[in-house]
Amino acid sequence: MTRSATPKLAGYAGLSGVGLLTALVFVRPEVVALTAPFLLALAAGLALATPPKLAAGAGVERERAIEGDEVGGHVVVSSSTPVDRLDLYLRLPDGVELVDGTHPVALRLAAGESRRLDFTLRAAHWGAYVIGPLYLRARDPLGFLVWEQTAATRSDVRVYPREEVLQRIVQPRETQVSSGNEVSRRKGEGIEFADVRPWAAGDPLNRINWRASARGGELWVNESHPERNTDVIFFVDSFAEARRGREGTLDLTVRATSALADAYVGRRDRVGLISFGGILRWLAPGAGTVQLYRMVDALLDTEVILSHYWREIDVIPRRTLPPNALVIALSPLLDPRSVGALLDLHARGHDLAVFDVSPVPFTARPQGKLDAIAYDIWILRHDALRHRLQRAGIAVAEWNDDAPLQAAVEEVRAFRRYARHARV
Amino acid sequence: MLALGAIGAIVAYAGATGGRLAPLADGAGTLGLALLTVAIVLRLPAVVPWAIIVTAGGYLAGREGRALVDGWAAVVGVLLLLAAELALWSIDHDDRIRAERSLTVRRVVTLTALTAAALLVNFGLLGAAAVAAPAGFVLATAGIAAAVTAVAVVLRLARA
Repeated sequence: MTRSATPKLAGYAGLSGVGLLTALVFVRPEVVALTAPFLLALAAGLALATPPKLAAGAGVERERAIEGDEVGGHVVVSSSTPVDRLDLYLRLPDGVELVDGTHPVALRLAAGESRRLDFTLRAAHWGAYVIGPLYLRARDPLGFLVWEQTAATRSDVRVYPREEVLQRIVQPRETQVSSGNEVSRRKGEGIEFADVRPWAAGDPLNRINWRASARGGELWVNESHPERNTDVIFFVDSFAEARRGREGTLDLTVRATSALADAYVGRRDRVGLISFGGILRWLAPGAGTVQLYRMVDALLDTEVILSHYWREIDVIPRRTLPPNALVIALSPLLDPRSVGALLDLHARGHDLAVFDVSPVPFTARPQGKLDAIAYDIWILRHDALRHRLQRAGIAVAEWNDDAPLQAAVEEVRAFRRYARHARV
Repeated sequence: MLALGAIGAIVAYAGATGGRLAPLADGAGTLGLALLTVAIVLRLPAVVPWAIIVTAGGYLAGREGRALVDGWAAVVGVLLLLAAELALWSIDHDDRIRAERSLTVRRVVTLTALTAAALLVNFGLLGAAAVAAPAGFVLATAGIAAAVTAVAVVLRLARA
């Protein structure tokens, strides 16, 4: 706890000193009469000042919430000495708002009294937040001295983005070996009919296609596509972002990634994450709800960090990009390094789909003629970049917050269907 | 507003007494009023003591040439304290901090008790000064200081 004097103490002391000196010099009782009240206040204030002995803490009801949720919290403060005025201020991070309750608050505590203050917070924006610290400021009755203390209390709240429910997702070209919901292109044990072939020793009788066998005069058996799972790697571009106010392309990227990951995990697919930017972060593929939480937790910590280092995909750990995995890239296509990395991934044979999280809605068209031309050129170059990826055979869909993510997903699906036909 | 009113009352009283340096008293009083206004509006607590000094100087300038001790000086001193306290309260006040009602009540009570005690001390001082000869002025001042110290000790003991 730190003690400090307020400007009032210096002011009153100065007034008293000047007054008494003037009274002695000019021998005027009136001067003493003008000074005495300040001297009295000073003496009374310092006499009444007692260093407070405070104990304080703050907490929240739960550590996890979804965007828009309300979370209850409380501050508990007690003192073994009387405190005439105690100011409490709990630092709330951006993205968490106070909905109900008094904050900051000034109150009075008697000796041995304990107070609990309840409040309600609203998680306005996704992210990992620290609630606190709690600042306490106590004053003596006449406000000459101030004691300040910071309570070592910090509560973590992780706010998950509110997700859009997707009806259909981007299907990968190849599947993995484990069972899942994706119909494999390969033939094997499954439900979906694939073809018929002549019977061979070891084929089970229940797979014999009796109609085809009757027509052909020999035994034919049905072949089917097995249902397999897939590996989906989310490639989040965190090199740069376009931002206006509290919303930016990175926010949309995180929301879209979260929604897509949720959809894939629901299909028993394995999902992984590569945050490709100033700091490279990754999460090896895994399946299940726990992996989804890991993904979202990793996404919450994603931030754009300025870096001029030319990073290539060689730096990505090999196990993070398994063979036959579908790589879904979410990028505002603002940084040439991320575009280069996407082209490199495609050149190396990875199954790639790109969601261009459009930076255009976050930029205003300038008023000046020259600036407006520069802005138009920038937009054209951005479009050209997207078309360059498409010409390379990569499915790219532009997406912004005005349109549902499902529309972009459908665009990617349509492109991939068309691209497959074109290749044949 | 109350702080400005207290200072305004002192300025008006100093002007009404009409001493030899009445224009100087008026000017100093007006300057003190302006300084206090600036201190409150711009939230500058360091300016408040200057406003008090200038206003008190204006009052003393108004008393220049008068041999008799002014009995109203006790009230003027308390008004100066009241003006300073109210001005600092106004500067301290922050709308963002929601203060409990009991805090306001307690502060009003404290301020009332302080001004009442100051008034008593001032009356005691002026009474002693009227009885004592000018040669005993230092003695009277020391007596008042001792009285103030005694009050402080009593308060300290009561608090403990």
